[in-house]
Amino acid sequence: MSTIVVSRLRPGEGGALRLFASQEALLAFAIVGIAILVGLYNPRFLATRNLGDIVLGNAYIAVAAIGMSMVIVSGNIDISVGSLIGVLATISGSLAVAGVPIILVWLTPLMVGILVMMLQGAVIAYLRIPAIVVTLGMLSILKGGLISVTGGRWITDLPQSFHLADIELFGILPMPVLIMVAATILAALWMRYSASGRAIFATGGNAEAARLCGVSPRRTVVMVFALHGLFAGIAALLFATQLKVIQSTVPPNLELTVITAAVVGGVSILGGVGTVVGSTLAAVLIAEIASALVFINVSPYWIHAVQGGLILVTVVADILRRQRRQVGE
Amino acid sequence: MKQLVKHRMMKTAALVILGAAMAGGSAVAADKWDGGDDLPTSPLACDAGPATAAAAKPYDGGQPTGAPDKAGKPITLVDVPKLIGIGYFNATSKGMQDAAKEIGNVKVTTDGPTEAKIDEQIKFIDNYITRGVDGILFAANDPVAITPVLKKALSKGIDVVGYDANSQPDARQWFINQAQFNGIAKAMVDAMAKEVGEDKGFAIVTSTFTTPNQARWIAEMSAYAAKCHPKLKWLETVEAQEDNVLSFNQATTLINKYGDKLSGLFGMTSVATPASAEAVTKAGLCGKLAVVGLATPNAMKPYVNAGCVKSVVLWNPVDLGYAATYVMRAVVDGKLKPGATSVDAGKLGKLNVINGSEILLGSPFIFTKDNIKDFDF
Repeated sequence: MSTIVVSRLRPGEGGALRLFASQEALLAFAIVGIAILVGLYNPRFLATRNLGDIVLGNAYIAVAAIGMSMVIVSGNIDISVGSLIGVLATISGSLAVAGVPIILVWLTPLMVGILVMMLQGAVIAYLRIPAIVVTLGMLSILKGGLISVTGGRWITDLPQSFHLADIELFGILPMPVLIMVAATILAALWMRYSASGRAIFATGGNAEAARLCGVSPRRTVVMVFALHGLFAGIAALLFATQLKVIQSTVPPNLELTVITAAVVGGVSILGGVGTVVGSTLAAVLIAEIASALVFINVSPYWIHAVQGGLILVTVVADILRRQRRQVGE
Repeated sequence: MKQLVKHRMMKTAALVILGAAMAGGSAVAADKWDGGDDLPTSPLACDAGPATAAAAKPYDGGQPTGAPDKAGKPITLVDVPKLIGIGYFNATSKGMQDAAKEIGNVKVTTDGPTEAKIDEQIKFIDNYITRGVDGILFAANDPVAITPVLKKALSKGIDVVGYDANSQPDARQWFINQAQFNGIAKAMVDAMAKEVGEDKGFAIVTSTFTTPNQARWIAEMSAYAAKCHPKLKWLETVEAQEDNVLSFNQATTLINKYGDKLSGLFGMTSVATPASAEAVTKAGLCGKLAVVGLATPNAMKPYVNAGCVKSVVLWNPVDLGYAATYVMRAVVDGKLKPGATSVDAGKLGKLNVINGSEILLGSPFIFTKDNIKDFDF
């Protein structure tokens, strides 16, 4: 009996079951399950306002996690993204206060994000320096640079037109959620169906094999980082335009939250596997848990433990899955 | 079959654990507010002003050696704040100029580093010691590192008075303390009770439960509320670090969790207060849900001007600089000697000596719709 159970859970047998056991489905179940459990304890949790607020306030993390997922799938990592988002938010806010036309205010962080990340991608790909080293360096440069240039001064007095995150399409669809959903769907389709999207998986899975198949791993890494920079720029815009003050400091531990979302979303830290639908769902799940802890009166200290637990469970599950697959082969 | 039973048992265990966690969380008794520390509190009297009759501590400041008697004579002072060019220290500097003009025989120049760096600040002070001034006013970037250079000034017969950020006591003669924990606590709780009424519920957004200043303020607020506003109902304290968006999300969660039961939010940091105000604004509850908190005026102007926030608690940096200048003049004139219990500070009236060699600026300042436009920091 036990053998039957095990073999049923083995991936690759039966489409319905595989779908059932996919990371995205698990995350979706977790999101709904927690909502129901906490809702039973405190029905106010299920109020549409609260569920909407959870997504709204954390959409920027999901957007940043899309780029992070691509980077990790390509076999790299980036720990500078939190600092970059802080810098881009400050750049955008400074331009807005200086009275620069709003379209430039919104586009500049995207361009700067792409440039900074492309530079890092090029150093990683062509100088063969490990991503963790390059991005750690960039983290320090951006973090220190931001404090030196701004002196920690906040940006206030932002013009009303600056607040992209306050726009509601047709009066009901808030921009951050719209951008999050659209970016996730577009990125997911692109990664799955386009040749350059598949190249990311090939590069992260086995760079040598990818090269033999006509994929340039170096160019792919630079492209992935450029895209990551674009998503970091969008995330920075949502982050900066959400409130009426920009802090001019690097948001604490933001890169860890973004990496957590990617990893819990099912992106393998070993590269080659992962989806951005998973990372977006994971970002929502993490935000939901943070809110749920307040609703069930658990000390907020636990959010870090919960995040850490989620990472460990996902990573262990990923490794086990791989081993089982190897045994199966 | 065995497996099935085991599976079921595990499921039950998981549910029990979850249930216990929920029950345990909600059963925490709330005789003291979360986020406060365990140090003894000293709540102020309910109606009185800032009078502090704390146990007298002997004078512990330093003294200049061989200072020439300049009583009544014109003096030249230099003011070396943490950094120059920001609104806050522009305001203290303005206060000093105001006082100098009033007093007549005082000349103050503000000069200092453009970044809040202690090594730069030490160089500035050292240069002025060499150049020769009658007195130095300072706001220290580091209480310990600044001590040697200030002691050097004292040894050259230069009078030294600090404000805003202290050095070690024996490195200066006096320090103007802008606000005490129990003073801030009283101002916060009084403002909340005045805005929402005596028997309403409120919650607190703080940095972390262990941040020293915030923990002290919350402990003092808890003690003061128990004494003077016993019916105010504390619901919960949440942590938001010094993170803008997290503060906003936490405040929003509180609003959604408590609904009508929540009548007010305390912001314990200059990050949490504007973020809480933003959360109230976005929830469409301006005027129904009060936000009272510590914050700087510039970040709060949009909310105060929109009528969403009525009381922003802090101190008035213009008064702080003004008081520092009056204290320095009194020291030079020999009117403020070790052991004194108060000093005359022009339009601010008599200011009390506390903690041995500190002078308390007075009650905290409340920024409102009427006065917030006068401040730029």
